[in-house]
Amino acid sequence: MSSRSQRVSSGIDSLVRRLLVDIPGEDPADAEEREHNARDFVREVLGHSKGPAVVADVNQASDLIKKRLIQTNPSPEKALRFTNLYSRLLSIPVITQKWAVLYFLYQLSDQQQKSPPVLTSPFKSPVKTGRASRNMESFIPQSPDYGSSREEKPMVEAFAPDGVKRLPMREGGQRDRREEDRAFVKSAAIQREGVARKTALLAENYVEIDPPETALLRDLPFTLQGLSSTHLPFSSDATLKLPPTLPIPIISILHTLAEPSLLYHGLSSFIQSPGSGLLEQSLRAAIGGELRSYLGLVATLEGQIRLALASLDEKEPRGGIGKAGVTLKRCVVWTREATMGLRLMSLISEESKSKKGGQLISLIHGFSSSHGDPMVGAFAERLLVHVTRPFYDMLRQWIYDGELSDPYHEFFVSEQDPNAIHDNQDGRNRGGASSVWEDKYKLNEDMVPSIITQDFAQKVFLIGKSLNFIRYGCGDSQWVEEYSKAASKELRYGDTATLETWIDEAYKTTMARLIHLMAEKFHLFEHLKALKNYILLGQGDFIALLMESLSSNLDRPAGAQYRHTLTAQLEHAIRGSNAQYDSPEVLRRLDARMLQLSHGDIGWDCFTLEYKIDAPVDVVVTEWGNRQYLKVFNFLWRIKRVEFALTSTWRKCMTGARGVLQGEDENVSQAWKLTRGVLAEMIHFIGQLQYYILFEVIESSWDELQTSIHKDGCTLDDLIKAHTKYLNAITHKGLLGAKKKIRGEIDDNTFMVQLGEILRLMLSYRDAVDGLYSWAVSDFTRRQGADVRNETQGRREDDDGLLINTPATTRRGPRHLPDSTPATIAGDSIPDEFPVLQERLQALGAHFKSRVCLLLGDLQYQPDVDMRFLGVVMNFNDVYQPVRKKLKTTGK
Amino acid sequence: MPDGESKQDKQATQAQARQVIDVFHEISTLLNADLDRQTLSICISLIENGVNPEALASVVRELKREGDETIKVHESRSQ
Repeated sequence: MSSRSQRVSSGIDSLVRRLLVDIPGEDPADAEEREHNARDFVREVLGHSKGPAVVADVNQASDLIKKRLIQTNPSPEKALRFTNLYSRLLSIPVITQKWAVLYFLYQLSDQQQKSPPVLTSPFKSPVKTGRASRNMESFIPQSPDYGSSREEKPMVEAFAPDGVKRLPMREGGQRDRREEDRAFVKSAAIQREGVARKTALLAENYVEIDPPETALLRDLPFTLQGLSSTHLPFSSDATLKLPPTLPIPIISILHTLAEPSLLYHGLSSFIQSPGSGLLEQSLRAAIGGELRSYLGLVATLEGQIRLALASLDEKEPRGGIGKAGVTLKRCVVWTREATMGLRLMSLISEESKSKKGGQLISLIHGFSSSHGDPMVGAFAERLLVHVTRPFYDMLRQWIYDGELSDPYHEFFVSEQDPNAIHDNQDGRNRGGASSVWEDKYKLNEDMVPSIITQDFAQKVFLIGKSLNFIRYGCGDSQWVEEYSKAASKELRYGDTATLETWIDEAYKTTMARLIHLMAEKFHLFEHLKALKNYILLGQGDFIALLMESLSSNLDRPAGAQYRHTLTAQLEHAIRGSNAQYDSPEVLRRLDARMLQLSHGDIGWDCFTLEYKIDAPVDVVVTEWGNRQYLKVFNFLWRIKRVEFALTSTWRKCMTGARGVLQGEDENVSQAWKLTRGVLAEMIHFIGQLQYYILFEVIESSWDELQTSIHKDGCTLDDLIKAHTKYLNAITHKGLLGAKKKIRGEIDDNTFMVQLGEILRLMLSYRDAVDGLYSWAVSDFTRRQGADVRNETQGRREDDDGLLINTPATTRRGPRHLPDSTPATIAGDSIPDEFPVLQERLQALGAHFKSRVCLLLGDLQYQPDVDMRFLGVVMNFNDVYQPVRKKLKTTGK
Repeated sequence: MPDGESKQDKQATQAQARQVIDVFHEISTLLNADLDRQTLSICISLIENGVNPEALASVVRELKREGDETIKVHESRSQ
C-alpha cells in the first residue's frame, strides 16, 4: 500500500510539474511555493474522493463516449474510429482500470458543446450524473405543449355558449376551472416523460402512409365543415370518399372524423330548408346557433392544425407529427363531444319532420328530462330555451289577451271553425254565444307539450277562452285590454314555478271578472230564479191566475188559439199576481205561445210559457237547458191542468150534492159515492205528485244549485256544470227521465209514460163524472118536469126552474125530493144511460187503481231515496197493493 | 523474481503500455481532451493506482485553468 501511495504522490508531483507553466523571470521561491500549493490542493481533492462514484463498467463508459461523439459530430466517422480503438484497447490486457481511464477522458472531453437537442431519449441512459439530470430539466420546458388547457378551452366552450352547464371534461367537474388546470398541468408534467417515450416508440414503429398524415390534417378542417378537399372529397351529399391507399387504422379514425362532417352536412341542409311552422323555424334557428359554435370549434381546430404544421420538422420521423401536438387521433378526441351534439341534433331534426308544434317541444323535452346522459340532457335543455320561444309568445298572447295568434296551428288550443270567428262580430244576432264558449276553441290533448301538465293546459285553455268570451261574448274588450296591459309578462322556458303562479293569478282574475260580469251585467242569477218561478211553476198565485183565466180558452181546439189572446191573458196573470213586482228585465222575457199543432189537439196540449234567454247568458242556459225547462213546464202544466179539472169537477159535485144530485135511487147515490171516492183518490194522487215535484225535487235541487254557484272561486264552467246537474236532477227525479232501453226495445213503462197514462185516465174519468153529472141533472129535470106535469094537472102552476145551476133550483131541490119517487117508473128511455155510465166509471176507476199500483211498485224499487219517498207518501195507509211489473208480466 | 524473465516481461509490458497510451491518446484527441502523451501516461498510472477518475478529471481541469490564468496574468504584467 505504501509503495502505491508513494507512486501516487510521485505521479501527482510529476502531474503538477507538467501542468504548471513555467513563468519566465519569476522568482524561484515563488514558483516553488506555487508548485507546493498546487500539489497540496491535488492531494487534498484526490484524497477526499476515494472509491468510484459510479459502478465500474467498461461498456458503459464507451457507450457514453460513443454517444457524445455521435451528438457532437454529424458524421459517424469519429464514432467508428472510436469503436475500432475501443476494440483494440479491450484486446490489451495491461491496464485493469480501462473504464476509469475512459471515463476520465470522457469527463475531460470538450465542454464547449451545446446541450443535446430536444429529443434525445434520456430514458435509454441510466446515468444519473448531475449533468444528465440537468439536461432533463432543460428538456422539459421545451417539450411541445401537447393538449394544454389553451387548446382544451374551445373544446369545452364550443357547445356551451351560455355556459349553462359545464360538464365534467376530465376528472372532478365540480372543481373550479383554475384549480382543474393546475391539477392538469401537474399531471401533465408527470405524463410528459411517458409521452416522450411513446413518441419515440411510435417513431420507431412508424409506417409511411399515403397520403401523409400532414396532408390529411390539412384537409380535415374543410371536411369537418362539410366541404370537399383533395384527399377527402364528398362524393355525394351523404358520403365521404376516403383514399383507398390508407391502412385500416387510419381509415377507422377517418370514419370517426367523417361522422361529424356528414352530420354537419345534413344539418346545414336541414336548417336551410323552410320550416312549416314557427316552432320548426325556431328549431332551425336553435340548431343553426349550435352549428355556428361547432364551426367555431372547427376554426380553433384549424388554427391548431396550421400552427402545428408550420412548426413541423420535415426531417423527423412521421414528418415530426408526433411532436407537433396535433394528430388525427387527437382531432378525433377533440371533436368527440361536438359529434355527440351533432348526432343528437340530427336525431331531433329527423324526428321533427313528422311532428308539429307541441309535439316537437315534447320530443326535445323528452331528451332533456328522461335521457340518462347528462350531456344530452343539458344540450336538449339549451335547445329547448330557443325552441320554445314562439310557444311562450303564443301562450302569453293567449293568457293575457285572449287572442290566439297561431298561424300554423301549433298551439294546443285550436279554433274550431274559421268561419265562426269571421262572423263573430255579428255573433250576437246569431245567438251563438254558447258556441263561442263551448265550440269556438278546442283543447288538443296531443298537442300539449310535456313541459306543461294536462291540468295546467286545461287552466290555460280556460283563461284564454274566458278572456275571449269576455271580449266578444260579453262585449267588455276594454277590461281585457286594461288587464293585458297591466298583467302581461314575458314568459320564458325554465322557471316553471313562477310561470305557474302567474298563470294561477291570471286564472283567478279572469274567472272572477267573468263571474262578476255574468252576475252584475247579465243578471244570470235573476234569470235562473225567474226560470224557476215561472217555468217551474214556483210562483203559485201567478200560475193559478193564469190557468183560471186561460181555462175557457184552452178547452177549445188548438187551431182556435190566438197569440194575442194568450199574451193578453199572460199580461192579466202578471198584473193580477205578485209577479208584477218583478223587474221588467225579467218580465219582458216571459212569453206565451203555442207549440207545434197536431190534428185533434186542444189548447191545453199546445200551450206553453217561454222565457227568452239571450246571448251571453245562454252559455249557462243552453238550448238543451231550454228544452229541459220546457219539458218540465209541460209536464207540470199538465198536472196542474188535471188538478184544476179534478178540483172544478169536485166542486161541481159538492155543490150538486146539495141540490140536483139528490135522488132517492139507491143505485144512483151508490154510484155517486163511489165516484166521489175515486175522485178523492185522484185528487190525493195529484196533490202528492205536485207536492213531491215542487218541494222535494225542484226546491232541493235549487238549493244545491244555489250553494254550488255561490261558492268561492266558481268558474263559468262550474256554473254550467252545476246548472246542467240541476236540470238533470229535476228531470230525473221529476219522473221525466229519458226512455230507458231494456233489451233493445223501448220500455213503455217509464214513469213518463205511466204518469201520462194515469193523467189521461183521470181526465177521462172526469169526463165520465161530468157525464154522470149531466145525466143526473137531466134526470132531475125530467123528474121535475114530471112533478110539474103532476102539479099542473093538479094546480096548474107554472115553474120557471128549468135552469139547473141557479141557486133557486138547488134550494128548491130538496123540497122536491120526496116527490120524485114516481119518476123512476115514468122515465123509461133515460135509465138506459145510467148503467153505461156506471160501468164506464167503474172500469176507469179500476184501471186507475191498477195503474197506480204499478207505478207504486216501480217507485218502491227506485235507487233514489226521494222517489221511494214519493211512493210512501202516495200510499201512506197501504190502500194500494204495489205490484211489481215482473209479477204483472208473469200474471199475463 | 528472476531478473532475466522480469526484464523480458518489463519490455513486453512497456511495449503494451506504450500501445495502451497510444490508444488512449488517440481517444483523447477524438474527444478533444487536450492532454499530451506524458500527462496522459501520468494520469493513467495514477488511475491504475486507484485514484478516482472523476476527481482526477476535475483536478486536471482545475490545474489547466490555473495555468492559463497565471500565463494571462504574467502576460498582462509583462506588458
